[in-house]
Amino acid sequence: MLFPMLLGISFIAFVLVNLIPADPAEVALRINDIQPTEEAIALMREELGLDRPFFTRYLQWLSKSTRFDFGATFTNANRTVAGEIARSLPATLELSAAALVIVIGSSLLLGVSCALYRDTLFDRSVRLFVFLGTAMPNYWVGLLLMWFFALKLDLLPTSGGGGWKNLILPAVTLSLTYISTYIRLIRNNMIENMSEEYVLYANARGLKQRTVVFGHVLRNSLHSCVTALGMSVPQLIAGAFVVENVFAWPGIGRLCISAIFNRDYPVIQAYILVMGVLFIFCNLAVDILHCFMDPRLRRSS
Amino acid sequence: MLRRVLSCVFVCFMLLGIVFLFSPGEASASDRDDETLVYVNFRDIRDLNPHLYAGEMYAQNLLYESLVKITEKGIEPWLAEKWDVSEDGRVYTFHLRKDVFFTDGEKFDAAAAKANFDAVLDNIQRHGWLEMLRLMERVEAVDDYTLKIGLKEPYFPMLVELGVTRPMRFISPKCMKDGVTKDGVTGLIGTGAYILAENTVDQKAVFVRNERYWGEKPAIKRIVVRVIPDNQTRVLALEKGEIDLIYGKNMVDAESMERFAAMNGFKAALSEPVSTRMLLLNTTRGALRDVNVRKALQHAVDKSTISEGIFHGIESPADFLLATTVPYCDVGLKPYAYSMESAADLFRKAGWARSGKSFLRKDGASLELTLLYNANSVPERTIAEYLQSEWAELGVDLKILGEEEQSYRDRQKAGDFDIVFNISWGTPYDPQSFLGGMRTVVYGDYMAQQGLKEKAKLDESIVKALVSTDLEERRALFAYILNLLHDEAVYIPLTYERNRAVFNERVRNVTFNPSQFEVPFEKMSLEK
Repeated sequence: MLFPMLLGISFIAFVLVNLIPADPAEVALRINDIQPTEEAIALMREELGLDRPFFTRYLQWLSKSTRFDFGATFTNANRTVAGEIARSLPATLELSAAALVIVIGSSLLLGVSCALYRDTLFDRSVRLFVFLGTAMPNYWVGLLLMWFFALKLDLLPTSGGGGWKNLILPAVTLSLTYISTYIRLIRNNMIENMSEEYVLYANARGLKQRTVVFGHVLRNSLHSCVTALGMSVPQLIAGAFVVENVFAWPGIGRLCISAIFNRDYPVIQAYILVMGVLFIFCNLAVDILHCFMDPRLRRSS
Repeated sequence: MLRRVLSCVFVCFMLLGIVFLFSPGEASASDRDDETLVYVNFRDIRDLNPHLYAGEMYAQNLLYESLVKITEKGIEPWLAEKWDVSEDGRVYTFHLRKDVFFTDGEKFDAAAAKANFDAVLDNIQRHGWLEMLRLMERVEAVDDYTLKIGLKEPYFPMLVELGVTRPMRFISPKCMKDGVTKDGVTGLIGTGAYILAENTVDQKAVFVRNERYWGEKPAIKRIVVRVIPDNQTRVLALEKGEIDLIYGKNMVDAESMERFAAMNGFKAALSEPVSTRMLLLNTTRGALRDVNVRKALQHAVDKSTISEGIFHGIESPADFLLATTVPYCDVGLKPYAYSMESAADLFRKAGWARSGKSFLRKDGASLELTLLYNANSVPERTIAEYLQSEWAELGVDLKILGEEEQSYRDRQKAGDFDIVFNISWGTPYDPQSFLGGMRTVVYGDYMAQQGLKEKAKLDESIVKALVSTDLEERRALFAYILNLLHDEAVYIPLTYERNRAVFNERVRNVTFNPSQFEVPFEKMSLEK
């Protein structure tokens, strides 16, 4: 299943860019301010291999991409696409990892507490936070946080890459939407599970309340969270571009935005491919994790 | 099992804490000191090859120098001490300075200069907009410090084109690959007052003063350029004191300018007008083929409202295609005054009629026009929306269409628009390069002018004006060109753009060069 999916993604990445109405050869010339005369376009087509049939080009691109050779960027002949991705991807991974830790930590804590103390003032204020967290666009929240923590309180730098102080604001901004989603998910799942019969049975057995809540209810409430998380991880990485732009974080999202503005096709293609691969592998990881968590799945397969 | 997951989470937190403890707190803590100015740009310096266009111009200006310098007082010597022009205007002889070295120790002499000219000419396709290069017949090093340039025809903007930031600036011949630069360079070595010390892509570039600079050394020792793409973030970073200077037309919005001008510890500055923001009417499309319709629209734009309401007075109302302060452009035109009555009269004259509040109609069709704007430009969108409501009063059904920059430019070049936003090239390219660009497809001008009866004569006059050696003839030709475009109402001038700067008051002497793309760091100093 994995292999045909990867092949499909690579094909889509290649076709999408070929569907853009502008001629890539002409674009490559214009980016560098060369008058796109007919001879210049013909030369460029040859250089880019556009004169060859479609499937030949696709196969060539594919075989090169498996070796991480995506060619040079249109905008800067000194930089290779692979090099640009290698430069910017780690920064995005760092940001997303930090955000993920915040998401998991705080949504577990708040989600479980909300379920245990449901309908108290605490639960209600967290639900208000959840509502706001999903409703506010994160570039705006980012600027507000920046204004408050960097400017008014003078605790953190406004923006830029670098040490952990620079990481806090963008990671928190990025995590907010997801925290809200997961708090709600964990809370509702737990409340649902608590009315199940096995909880009644466990209580009747006289198990300690802690064991019932953490050992059974929470455990059974996390399945859908893990599935959702499998999608959220690549979403975090792909969706980081807004936050990267606001906080001047030197990640792959900014690389992609500038590539789109410049119509730097090789970079866009590579970006789509990398993101597609990421989604597939995260899904795979979730499936494995599920088997690990739920013995029934292991036995049935 | 669950305990395992939870302990995993716990361990993750611990690890992260450890990473935080041992990683550097604030990497940029050392950026700003008594000798260091922190400047900001919206993107990386990119490729600083002086002979190509893919690098940031402020950075190219720091590293590389030209034969001559464009100043308020006119053309002044730079790497050339003096020069002579032959009687017929076709041969320029430059006498070079004898004390100039590239920062790699190479001597700057006639041979090095010629090598640079050869490298640029080798790639002439890329410099189509630059008439000077097309006319260049031969470049020779007469002796060690004399460079002679022969042109096919005389060309009066020659010295200006030599002085603009690119492509005619000098890089050490050692950095060329087989004597050419079109396939990249091996180093970024110029003769300029600063040296590029380091660059972290998308984060920051550091320039240090060239301590062996041949001329007067600038006061600021080190310039750090942070990369911050977002306008609001830049403003907050300036207010917090992380950066010292925001500089450029599109780097700071009008409201923030106003705010900083009034704020303690900060200053704001505006340059003279540098370029014209305008609407370009496509004379080949529908109702716009009629000059009376175009004139009606001219009268229907309230420029002072746009200037005050949208730009807070930072851009002043524009009466003409090019400001009268631009060379050759004070030709005594009469502006189209804002008057909805005159506009309505002209529509009537053109045969467009309306009943009550309906849209204007003629031959069964209503007056529908589309205004194309760059979706990334907030001012353009705001002006478009303003005009849409204003012109609806007159009975014009104005549709507005915002597109992402590249497709917006593609449409411009293809002439696929009724009305589009346009900006003159600005100092020092106005008027010669801006008008020169009307003869071929550079922006939308060429296609939009195809409906003019005198288009052929217009193009011919532009060429003549650019090669004429006779000042009076040149004046007459420019007057003809500007009069024709004004009378035919092809362009609706909106505002004159100005360069903007907001800065921490510890930065002294923030000024503007005639070329809007330069940032005069060499004139600035820092208060200790």
